[in-house]
Amino acid sequence: MSKKQNVATTSTGAPINKKSLSTRIKNNFGYYLMFLPVLVFVIIIYYWPMLGVRYSFYEYKLRNINWVGLKNFQTMFAKKEFWTAFSNTLQISITKLLITTFASVLVSVFLNEMHNMFAKKTLQTIIYLPHFMSWAVVAAIFQLFLSKSSTGFVNETLKSWGVLTTSIDFLHTKSMWRPIFYMINIWKETGWGTVIFLATLSGINPELYEAADIDGASRLQKIWYVTVPALMNTVIIVLILNLAKVLNLFESVFVLYNNRVFDVSDVISTYIYRQTFLTAIPDYGYTTAVGLFKSLVGCALVLICNWASKKIRGRGII
Amino acid sequence: MKKKALSLLLSTAMVASLAACGSETAPAGTDTQTADNTTATQTEAPAATETAETAETPAAAEDFTLETLNIVVDGTLTATVENGQDAFKAQWEAAVSEKLGHPVTLNINQLDHSDYSGTVSRLLTTGQPGDPDYPDALIMSATMLRQYQTTGLLWDMADAYANAEFQSRVTLPSVNENMKDSQGHLYGFAPTYGNGCVTYVKKSWLDAAGMSIDDIKTFDDYYAMLKAFAEKESGTYGVIAAGYGKLDEAPYINYMPEFWQGAYPSFYQKDGVWVDGFQEQATVDALARLAQAYADGIIDPDTEEAGTKQAREKFFSNDQSTSEGVFTYWAGTWLRTLTDNMAKQEVDNDLGDERLVQLAPIQEIKDTWGGYINREAPVWVITDDQDGSSAREQAIFDALLETMLDGDKVQTLWTYGAEDVHWSTKAESFTTNPDDPDKKKDYEYADGEFHLKQSPNDPNTVWKKNHLDPVLVIAPLTNGFVDSDELVQAGNKFFTENCVDAPAAASCDTLTENEATLVELKTTLMNQAVTGEITPEDAIAQYQAEVGDIAQQIVDELNAQ
Repeated sequence: MSKKQNVATTSTGAPINKKSLSTRIKNNFGYYLMFLPVLVFVIIIYYWPMLGVRYSFYEYKLRNINWVGLKNFQTMFAKKEFWTAFSNTLQISITKLLITTFASVLVSVFLNEMHNMFAKKTLQTIIYLPHFMSWAVVAAIFQLFLSKSSTGFVNETLKSWGVLTTSIDFLHTKSMWRPIFYMINIWKETGWGTVIFLATLSGINPELYEAADIDGASRLQKIWYVTVPALMNTVIIVLILNLAKVLNLFESVFVLYNNRVFDVSDVISTYIYRQTFLTAIPDYGYTTAVGLFKSLVGCALVLICNWASKKIRGRGII
Repeated sequence: MKKKALSLLLSTAMVASLAACGSETAPAGTDTQTADNTTATQTEAPAATETAETAETPAAAEDFTLETLNIVVDGTLTATVENGQDAFKAQWEAAVSEKLGHPVTLNINQLDHSDYSGTVSRLLTTGQPGDPDYPDALIMSATMLRQYQTTGLLWDMADAYANAEFQSRVTLPSVNENMKDSQGHLYGFAPTYGNGCVTYVKKSWLDAAGMSIDDIKTFDDYYAMLKAFAEKESGTYGVIAAGYGKLDEAPYINYMPEFWQGAYPSFYQKDGVWVDGFQEQATVDALARLAQAYADGIIDPDTEEAGTKQAREKFFSNDQSTSEGVFTYWAGTWLRTLTDNMAKQEVDNDLGDERLVQLAPIQEIKDTWGGYINREAPVWVITDDQDGSSAREQAIFDALLETMLDGDKVQTLWTYGAEDVHWSTKAESFTTNPDDPDKKKDYEYADGEFHLKQSPNDPNTVWKKNHLDPVLVIAPLTNGFVDSDELVQAGNKFFTENCVDAPAAASCDTLTENEATLVELKTTLMNQAVTGEITPEDAIAQYQAEVGDIAQQIVDELNAQ
């Protein structure tokens, strides 16, 4: 009985005659030499700083560094603020991901249905633009727009129309902060999110629509039975790819939140930021521990998404 | 072969460029290394860049030759890079080198004023004496001083202060004497007293409301005035500030003193006993007053999020239809600055220097604190390299702080800035706003007459001062250089006549450890109470429920000291 061997093959199926690493380096010395600076760069920039994770096991205040073992993690798990931030991160990120993906799909479908190319291109350009504005600018605009003071456009307009008698403190009200945050995200990111869906839509075989026409399908039926199913694979891939990044939520929250809505807005990154940069004498050990925990959870999510990606599309994301 | 040679060449070039980048960024990029090696290297290589002669035994400054002085400053050094700092630095180096008999290079690291304490914390964490970024001396607020004075990072300058040459000219010795701890250690030196805030009212708004500043004597009068201002136009408000209370910086209540009255929402000594002022009835009452004013539309809602810059700019904005009539801010020089900014924005041009009037403390403030709060002074501290010798630190004291109050050349630099850049005694004439007939002003000075020049970065304004306020300084100039701005003098006189010293800032280990949590919670609760989300009583109850134990521990520690 012959033993089955794993033989590396080329894309055409021909077996690759695998040589030893040293032989390969010797044969391709020039290329390896060119790669060397990149390798050094990656090690210095990406991997060397990772040595800092050891501080999560230390108390690190000013220049005093003392080994404390797992104490920082115990402190972290005992803090209500940490769990609030952790829970908020997951809730806000996942909701934002679902909402913005849905909005992008919706807009993509509408854009796909537009036959006036000039109008379509103009609209695309307009909805792409907010993506290129920095979050700081976006926050400044919306804070001014939604301000409770007499300079707030929304409140003053609603009052002048008689809809409101007193101004609403939109961004300082717990029940309103998240919906506004999601709306701002939709406004900023929907346009850019349509790029990948429009590419998918442009690849749908026109014969499917022609067949639907022959079957007497209405426009809405064609969208529902042809366009949407064709998009679903891409939607799932986009969701999976973005799910791996759900813990990386900082800038958009940081520029829009305030201490009156911490309960519903504080996320892990903003919590780490405040503990590190807004504390008179911070304990870098503790904040490193929180950061490390976040990285581990993020890593687990990436692996889960990789597994899901393999299951759905046959190949992983890493 | 050609390919190999080319690839070798490219690789060499890339590695060389990478190495060059690395060598440039190495000091900043080795944070973790530095921190890690701190303990081991502290005694091995203290102050490596400054001298090769670091002694291990106590020594006088003569044993140490200070060649470079690294200082870290906040925005109170008004001679910024854009505003003639190079000239200030050059003249300081020349004057101090002459005094010390050897050359000294001054490196100024001016940090962002709004994140000063955070950046200082990072500098002191990631560096050590001798590193290019590590400060030899730096400015700290009274609160920061209390936090750092027990860390061992600061040098006890009690002896240096006691033996300083300027002692014979100090007119306010209590400023620094009060800063000593119970063992007599002095970790910070205040060249000026603290100063504080007074309430400024727009004269035109008072006139429009048919009121006089002299009639505002009680909180009810004050409230009626704010109400009238809020009703002036549909978008106007009575008052704005940078927060309903500034709970992260002593004396906490100075931006809204009429509302806070006798309250002090932090730890302070009351009749010799430390208490947590945030839990007192006075704080509940203050929050209730603020909440009422907020509900009545008297306080600009922008107050909650505004920084000092935003609050100031809204107050003197050229759009007065969304502005406020009252703003409580720093006394003295700031009266001139606010007035000038109103002039720049063409607000109340007909009133000239009488645009703003100062409100005397209302009766409720007089009955409790006694007047506006004079904060604890910001200080200069010297970092201790912990090598067992005071030679380096004494040398820094001599070069920086001793000369800062020399009464003459160097003190003038710190007070008014660089000669012939910020001030001059040469005959000259100049005109500010030459193209605007309404604002145009001519200045003419004779030879030998001390005067301030046009600001380097804004020729339409006259320079005011540098780091030291000549009125607040504890040892006055002896060269007779006096800024004769009557408005500034009137502002300082008004504050001096109406102020009382702030309570001493509290300091203990548990407070330092929990301060950020306490400030964040108190600010949240204060904002919630003022905006009507919760009642003031609920705010205090929630505070007690969440951090009551910690607060009690802090009080106990403070009273045990």
